[in-house]
Amino acid sequence: MTRVAPPAWAAGVCAGVHAAGCRDAVYVPDNPLSHVLRVFEEKYDDVRLSLATREEEAFGIAAGLYLGGRTPAVLLQSSGLGNSLNALTSLLIPYEIPVLMIVSMRGDEGEWNAAQRPMGRAVRAILESIGIAYVTVESADAASETVRRAGVQSFEMRTCVACLLPRRLTAPGGLTPGPRNPEGNEWVGVRPPDKPGSATGVSEEPGRRLGSDPRP
Amino acid sequence: MTRLEATQVVVAKAGDAAIIASLGHPAYDLFAAGDRPRNFYTWGSMGLASSVGLGLALARVDLRVIVLDGDGSLLMNLGSLATIGLLQPTNYVLIVMDNEQFATTGGQATPTALGADLEAAARAMRIASAVTVHTSDDLARALDTRTDGAMVVVAKVAESAPTAKPPNDCVALKRRFMNALGHDER
Repeated sequence: MTRVAPPAWAAGVCAGVHAAGCRDAVYVPDNPLSHVLRVFEEKYDDVRLSLATREEEAFGIAAGLYLGGRTPAVLLQSSGLGNSLNALTSLLIPYEIPVLMIVSMRGDEGEWNAAQRPMGRAVRAILESIGIAYVTVESADAASETVRRAGVQSFEMRTCVACLLPRRLTAPGGLTPGPRNPEGNEWVGVRPPDKPGSATGVSEEPGRRLGSDPRP
Repeated sequence: MTRLEATQVVVAKAGDAAIIASLGHPAYDLFAAGDRPRNFYTWGSMGLASSVGLGLALARVDLRVIVLDGDGSLLMNLGSLATIGLLQPTNYVLIVMDNEQFATTGGQATPTALGADLEAAARAMRIASAVTVHTSDDLARALDTRTDGAMVVVAKVAESAPTAKPPNDCVALKRRFMNALGHDER
């Protein structure tokens, strides 16, 4: 089976995480992050990937890794930031335990899922309110250096720093109205049929797997 | 066996092991039973002690890591058992001080008071070395056991009022702990 090469932004993110010195990445997967995970698996033997059941747990594991001398990254979807707040505010921040956060954004431009919108909109304000610095990875070309610098900042300053991966970076096809969007309404989550995106091959289009058009 | 008595057994058996304590009474009793640089006291993040210990066990395979958790705390992060069962670090021991209540917050009953079985939950998540103990001798025996994977010990304990609290300078607690393990922060 031929596999499409991972997108350049994902390779850049992994290069940046690696260049920042992270050899542990604790993750709760999402669709864009599947590319990052795949690059780590295929190209970085020295990075240990550890799956967590939810994001708060991932930050707890990462804290323990740091106590043991490692410099960990946590990979999560922005929706999981809500799950993480108690870990961040009552463990990592007060104990000054640094983690490089790689946050796959939902709810920003290109989003089709109404349930993703409120948290997506709130991510930056939440991070600011708890004092966690963030940067947005604006392009595939900038990914490696943006992430590397965030990692240096994190581990030198002993603070968490978040790298936000917007959907315009991770799911550009998501901005293209698809076949179920004849009226050009907000159903813009449909990727084109030849999308380079999903590693699973499962479309993110709402309703497609239900076998019926949710909005006739 | 009270929780303090159980904690004293753990400290006596710990040797060079690192001990991670869940917030509230487990941390208070660890401090009272024997403060040592290789103790890490959490002051928040209820539920995460087992995860912090797991990360440490992954980072330091040469080090035995003992977690002092509570039944209420573990129930708040029950997915942790699945991750422990997935990763199976052989240097990891999770001790659940099961007093069947949220003692730190006033003694409200937890589901274990009605028979919820955390040993069975651990086994169901692929942690074969899971035991329930009721006496100090059985707890000591469990801690003497070396296993092929992670170990979970559910210690049925009576609540005992804590007599001391660790200092709450979180950064100082972290530094002391990391230094004791040989990690100077850059």
